[in-house]
Amino acid sequence: MDVGRHPKINLLAYSEVEDISGYIGNFKVKVRKKARYVDEVECTSCDDCVDVCPVVVPKEHQLGLASRKAIYIPFPQAVPASYIIDEENCLGFNPIACGKCAEKCDKNCIDYDAKDEIVEFDVGSIIVASGLDVYDPTEFDEYGYTRFENVLTSMELEILTGPGGVTKGKLIRPTDRKVPKSIGFIQCVGSRCESRGTAYCSNICCMNTIKDTLLLREYYHDIDCKVFYMDIRAFGKGFEDFYRRSKALGVEYIRGIPGDIREDPKTKNLILSVENTTGNGIEEYELDMVVLSVGMVPRKDSNSINKLLTLQTTSDGLLMEVHPKLTPIDAPTAGVFFAGCCEAPKDIKDSVTQASGAAARAASILSKDKVKIPALTATVDDDLCKSCGICVKVCPYSAITIDMKAKEPAKIIEAACKGCGTCASECKFDAISMKHYNDAQIIAQIDAILEENPEEKVLVFACNWCSYPGADLVGISRMQYPTSSRIIRIMCTGRLDEKFILHALKLGAPIVLMSGCHPADCHYINASLKAQLRIEKLWNKLERKGIRPERVQFEWISASEVGKFVKTMEELEEFRKSVTKKEIEETKKILSKSKK
Amino acid sequence: MATESDFKCLRCGHWFKTNYEKNKPEERTCPKCGSNSVRPMPEKKK
Ligand SMILES: [Zn+2]
Repeated sequence: MDVGRHPKINLLAYSEVEDISGYIGNFKVKVRKKARYVDEVECTSCDDCVDVCPVVVPKEHQLGLASRKAIYIPFPQAVPASYIIDEENCLGFNPIACGKCAEKCDKNCIDYDAKDEIVEFDVGSIIVASGLDVYDPTEFDEYGYTRFENVLTSMELEILTGPGGVTKGKLIRPTDRKVPKSIGFIQCVGSRCESRGTAYCSNICCMNTIKDTLLLREYYHDIDCKVFYMDIRAFGKGFEDFYRRSKALGVEYIRGIPGDIREDPKTKNLILSVENTTGNGIEEYELDMVVLSVGMVPRKDSNSINKLLTLQTTSDGLLMEVHPKLTPIDAPTAGVFFAGCCEAPKDIKDSVTQASGAAARAASILSKDKVKIPALTATVDDDLCKSCGICVKVCPYSAITIDMKAKEPAKIIEAACKGCGTCASECKFDAISMKHYNDAQIIAQIDAILEENPEEKVLVFACNWCSYPGADLVGISRMQYPTSSRIIRIMCTGRLDEKFILHALKLGAPIVLMSGCHPADCHYINASLKAQLRIEKLWNKLERKGIRPERVQFEWISASEVGKFVKTMEELEEFRKSVTKKEIEETKKILSKSKK
Repeated sequence: MATESDFKCLRCGHWFKTNYEKNKPEERTCPKCGSNSVRPMPEKKK
């Protein structure tokens, strides 16, 4: 409500983002404001229109447990607090068969001819807070969610026991409308499951159930509460205490997830079979009501916003940050930040923490006239660019635009480019160059290293963020790696063009190693995986040419993995000794003959 | 779609099977020596 009243916040409720273009500091956002058919400024929420509306439909915000009219306020705290006409169910549209609300409204707020409105904004920064959906447990047929009325989800329990709910906060059993004497909670429904729901832990369900048991025991002293769980995850400040309080109040925690639920047709009681893994074997419990503690899943419509902002998701469908530890709020698209569950399931406290961080990150952009970026960006040689569009496809940051139809050369949005060099490595026409890590500079380093006795060297391309500091830490830790190792620093393995490797082999390098951040820690989203794919293709190419693929290796080594760095270099040094002068000369000959 | 494929470790020469999807690289590790230099050999024989 404070947001709705804030003079500097323009809240667009009942609206949908249709298009986003531009880049950090200069986004253009197109929003469709859906027609409400009610003048939200004039409307005083007097309820006269609702009283006369003859259409009754299930209420979405009560999960269908209550009903609403075709003209309605979605939920009590809705901002603005004015009505919406549900076009699908209202009888006032095409042709007008009703019109009672319009007749009743003294202030003439109803307008059946209202149209959607398209509004456009210039914004400097965008915060994505699109949330997650609640898991629908229908596929867990063994729990009879669709067959047994007394099986509810945790969300439905929330609505039943909430003050704004259908029963005004009183807990009742759906079949007989009486307060249940016993209630069981089944944890992890749709969470931590590879085959149904999501593989991740939904984070909030354990604490939500503990909270529910405390409330129930407080209001209904004799209610018997049982919690069936795999393990209780009560990490965080005060949470373990909360769990202990629940147990001290008599809530029984049974380690085991029920295999199925049966219903007694007479009493409508529910019978749960569960293997108690604390050693009591298979047990049966008869309960009045069961609550499925459901997890959170990616929103069904999340793809649309992901596409608009070129956001990437993890294999679980959660939005991916630039770096999980160092920039957990930033989206790969510069100027875009995350708040709340869209990034990962989290509770209110963590959502507020992240939202505060996102607001501060956004403010740091808006407070300046210009954005400062490291001068490591890509540049395009317009004469060499053939407008093939590969760079646009591989850029992890969507920092390249191209008009392929007009055969215009690619354009780098410097404010969005982070300088990983993937575009330069993938460009078949050498049309893209990286500032400070250009081809000539890297080739010159290779030439210098392999100028004398190349057969005695192991050439390493190490990324700036993980492997290069990892090698550094070996020295700082007073450890040693073979003196044959020669390291060239690049910003990211994404910069490692196959031409550098082929050039080194042509000069007589026995072994070339690419080393960078583990893909999950890649500082350039997925640039290291793109580099891995290029190496996999290069192996096939080398084999076709008659060169042993083994002579090109890669290793993911983080900055702290000094042991892995030493082990890798020692292994490669041994391997180097097995590469004969004859093999090296043969490779040089093959590569001197071939064009590319 | 990912299917189980042959992989060869270019560090120790060990062959093993794991999931593979064309053009969808992921971090892989040789179960014998721990190296990441494992080469997908989807259509190749030992
Ligand atoms: Zn191996």
